[in-house]
Amino acid sequence: MTVAVYGQTSEKLVSSKSNIKFFSTTPAEDIEANNTASVSTINIESGEVVFSVPMQGFEFEKSLMQKHYNSDKFLDTKTHPKAKLKATILNLDQVNFSEDGSYSADVEGELTIKDVTKPIREKGTITVKGNQIALNSIFNITLADFQITFAKGKPSSNIAKKLEITVEAEYEQN
Amino acid sequence: MKRKKVLKIVAILGVAGILIAGGIGLYMFNMPHRDVQSADADYTLTASEIVSEYFTDNEAANKKYLAADGDSKILEITGVVSKISEDFSGQKVVLLKGEQVKAGVSATFTSETNSSLDNVQIDQKITIKGVIRSGASYDDDLEMYEHVIIEKSDIVLK
Repeated sequence: MTVAVYGQTSEKLVSSKSNIKFFSTTPAEDIEANNTASVSTINIESGEVVFSVPMQGFEFEKSLMQKHYNSDKFLDTKTHPKAKLKATILNLDQVNFSEDGSYSADVEGELTIKDVTKPIREKGTITVKGNQIALNSIFNITLADFQITFAKGKPSSNIAKKLEITVEAEYEQN
Repeated sequence: MKRKKVLKIVAILGVAGILIAGGIGLYMFNMPHRDVQSADADYTLTASEIVSEYFTDNEAANKKYLAADGDSKILEITGVVSKISEDFSGQKVVLLKGEQVKAGVSATFTSETNSSLDNVQIDQKITIKGVIRSGASYDDDLEMYEHVIIEKSDIVLK
């Protein structure tokens, strides 16, 4: 049904079951935010992995942190509502999508946040179990790379310059 | 004697000022999240209407519906249920499809509101209320239409 509606080829798996977490730690405080509203695809023929992330979907424990994060001084989510990861699995020949197991994946591509695109090269794990495919990756991003900086104020001392991003996504293959 | 009295008043005012400033600071720091369900909807529309609005002018729709601090517009949207699924944290997600539009409205419920969907079935027409997170568009990289994303949803009984 979905295949017909969106005109996808069968090699392309879709995930709307994902969590993207970012974690910042400074002596002042630890800050964590989670987002379960992303859409991702993985093409098991070409190895292309795409994540489209609705930036206002990040949930913080504290309301004030969430307001700071969204504001035009930080992520400016009103002007840039989505972030995008577009990458390719380099060692696709070492990942067998039809055999249960855990495979290490080298992923290279581009990450676009706030309209700034930077190359990334990270490691991830692809786990195959029956028709379920899971993708996991933990990597760091430097905020200044995406021109996210604080001149002054509390956020400048309480948010780490480097954030740890944890990506988990589940795909189902036919 | 008089001088002592003045000093006392200054000291009391000073302490009161510190307490008030501290109180405001503490309130700001612990400010609760907005309760979407107890707030009134900013707009009432159908799934087709909001999707069409995004297809016509994405930028204008973002300006209209998204807020700079993330507390974006609260929408009441009516549409036909085409899919009910679960997200990564076990929250139910309802896809409302409009007529003659290629995308729909994806409404994520919460652990508190999940049970509102217990008796909802595919093809049923329902109205939901929630906060908009992002709009609908075609994404070249996903090669898919992306739905309007609504979170903190619950069913609105009419």
